[in-house]
Amino acid sequence: MDWFSYLTSGIGVYVALVVFTGGMAWRVWQWSRTPRSPVRLALYPKPKTGSARFGKLLVDTFVAPQSFRIAPAVMIAAMLFHLAALAAFFGHLRLVHEFDPLVGWLGEGGMNTFAAWSGGAAGIIMMAAILYWLGRRTFGAFKNLSVPEDYLLLVLLLGIVVMGNHLRFVGGLHADTYRAWFQSLLALNPSFPADMAGRGEIWALDWHMLFVDAFLIYFPFSKLTHAIGAFATNLVRSGE
Amino acid sequence: MEKKTIESMVGVLDARMNRQLKQYMDICARCAICKDACHQYVATGDMKYLPARRAELLRQIYRKYFTKAGQFMPALYEAREPDENLIDELYESTYACTGCRRCTYFCPFSIDTGWITAVSKGVLIAAGRGNEMLGQLADAALFKADNMDMFDSIIVDGFKDVERELREETGRDVAIPVDVAGADILYVALAGSHSIKPAAVIFDAAGASWTLSKFEAANYGFFFGDPAKAKLIADRFMNEAKRLGVKEVVITECGHAYRVAEMFYEAWAKEKMPFKVRHILEVIDDYIKDGRITVDPKAITQRVTYHDPCQIGRNGGIYEQPRDIVTAIAPDFVDMTPNRETQWCCGGGGGIVAMEEFNTVRLASGGKKVEQIRATGATILACPCENCRLQIEELDKVHDLGLRIVPVMELVAEALVPKK
Amino acid sequence: MSDMNIDLELDLKGLLCPMPMVKVSQNITNVPVGGIIRAVATDAGSMADIPAWAKSTGNEVLQAEKIDGQFVFLVKRVK
Repeated sequence: MDWFSYLTSGIGVYVALVVFTGGMAWRVWQWSRTPRSPVRLALYPKPKTGSARFGKLLVDTFVAPQSFRIAPAVMIAAMLFHLAALAAFFGHLRLVHEFDPLVGWLGEGGMNTFAAWSGGAAGIIMMAAILYWLGRRTFGAFKNLSVPEDYLLLVLLLGIVVMGNHLRFVGGLHADTYRAWFQSLLALNPSFPADMAGRGEIWALDWHMLFVDAFLIYFPFSKLTHAIGAFATNLVRSGE
Repeated sequence: MEKKTIESMVGVLDARMNRQLKQYMDICARCAICKDACHQYVATGDMKYLPARRAELLRQIYRKYFTKAGQFMPALYEAREPDENLIDELYESTYACTGCRRCTYFCPFSIDTGWITAVSKGVLIAAGRGNEMLGQLADAALFKADNMDMFDSIIVDGFKDVERELREETGRDVAIPVDVAGADILYVALAGSHSIKPAAVIFDAAGASWTLSKFEAANYGFFFGDPAKAKLIADRFMNEAKRLGVKEVVITECGHAYRVAEMFYEAWAKEKMPFKVRHILEVIDDYIKDGRITVDPKAITQRVTYHDPCQIGRNGGIYEQPRDIVTAIAPDFVDMTPNRETQWCCGGGGGIVAMEEFNTVRLASGGKKVEQIRATGATILACPCENCRLQIEELDKVHDLGLRIVPVMELVAEALVPKK
Repeated sequence: MSDMNIDLELDLKGLLCPMPMVKVSQNITNVPVGGIIRAVATDAGSMADIPAWAKSTGNEVLQAEKIDGQFVFLVKRVK
């Protein structure tokens, strides 16, 4: 590994994970030690039973049906993006361990084709959603509502996705090569496997990881804490 | 701005900080899904009325003084020290908000702009920019409470006048009891007799044990944005209720007063009240269903529609009782679309009807309501909130809707069948 | 009181409380300091509301009387 690879695809990953985990814990800690509003900020109607309320909280947070009704375009983009990001996350778990049953079922070649299609689709959907949001903020009526934070996050995401797509569509390496690198990270001894030596994918991977690291480091200090906070704020519809 | 002023603004924000507010400040994605939810933004397209923008103005101060990230990289978050420009926009944006929380309903994170603007009002008051009119109205209410010996006889004489008027209008003796210890109900009306007469007639017909509060339910301290004053104003009738030992406090057809009494007061007073709080329409609905009063099911022949006041419906949870009452006396009832939790705010909430400077946006923001009312073809609009009625009466004049706008209980009083 | 100079007449008949008080308050700056508003309201609540508003804002009610079923106020702007 040269110094840039070591910074982005080596030590940087550890730093990012520490900051992300610590930052999120700190954020949740901060919320939890701030007392809840003493007055009831209720929104009606509410379900009567506890289980119905819990169900409503999950639906409100994961689906937000009322938001779909009023702003279908934004919500479709948001939903596709979040689902694609979730799919991409699960796809990346191949780097931790190969999905053996799936490989057994599809065969080595079949697995690579499946990954190419699913990963490719997720990458394209995410890129389209990010470009839509960038456009909406830059050319829409809401330019004045947007702050630099909004653009920074979109640029970081775009960087991650573009470089990821580059690895997927342009690069010629398969998961087992990246898995070897990822295993070295898990073993706390980051290095690239021999079959990556001298290949252009290193450059793309390093940039992919640079954006990932920056994204994870910034995450706890950004509006993306809605990933956890939304469960609490949506309680106004179902709690109390 | 002076350093001391800024310190006191930040101090208010600190004192009012709670978990929900902190989360609203931290997680808003500025997705602007709220844009089509707000009657004021829909009517004007003016950014300062966009719910997310209303919150963003307070967030700029929050980021600057309450987050390390905002202090470290202010430009990234547009964190800033408050200046006159910020305060001007915050004032316009905050006091115009009717607190209807329609944006909260549609927000994927349920961010409560009504609560955020309530805190912004506190910050504005600290900056010396609280709305003067609302402040005066709040102070007048408190002055009345502090100098009851000066006003007691005037108020009681006023009630005697109402009794006389009722005798002339109904031909019957309907008593307006005041200061009755041990009564079941303390009825809290508005200063105007229109909120006393129909209730008196209905209580009388139901044979209810009730007594009328000497204080009005309206709470301009709440609209002004000062919870301490709002509590003191509500204290007036809450203490009266305790003193008289009533079983329940019944709030007249007034939206914010109901929400203050039912949702906020116990938290403000930090004690559990020895009585329950109900809205008058919950009581009347029970009277009809229990047969304590008899109403003529065909009493109201014209088409009637019903407007859900935000503080009673979306924020108070009373949707069905008023509809049950109206359909029990008016065969031709047509609901507006949308209704209940997605109902459009009429544009008259939050004390905006008392603030002349917002007249233009207030009247423009009633556009959706006007469309909705027109579509029903109704000639009577029943509505259990004084601010809504004031606003809709003005919309009725401006748009020539030919409506009769009434409290629900007034229709009930008309539909009462006298007991034999 | 007929010799008094009225700077502004307000017809508040038909307005329900607290609107008469609101209207007086909104209009107080439309008369000069020392100027007088004569307001006529029909809502009984104004008999307490308007004097209470005047006291708490430091203005002066010169007259608050019920005349022929109407409530007539003379309010002097003090500051």
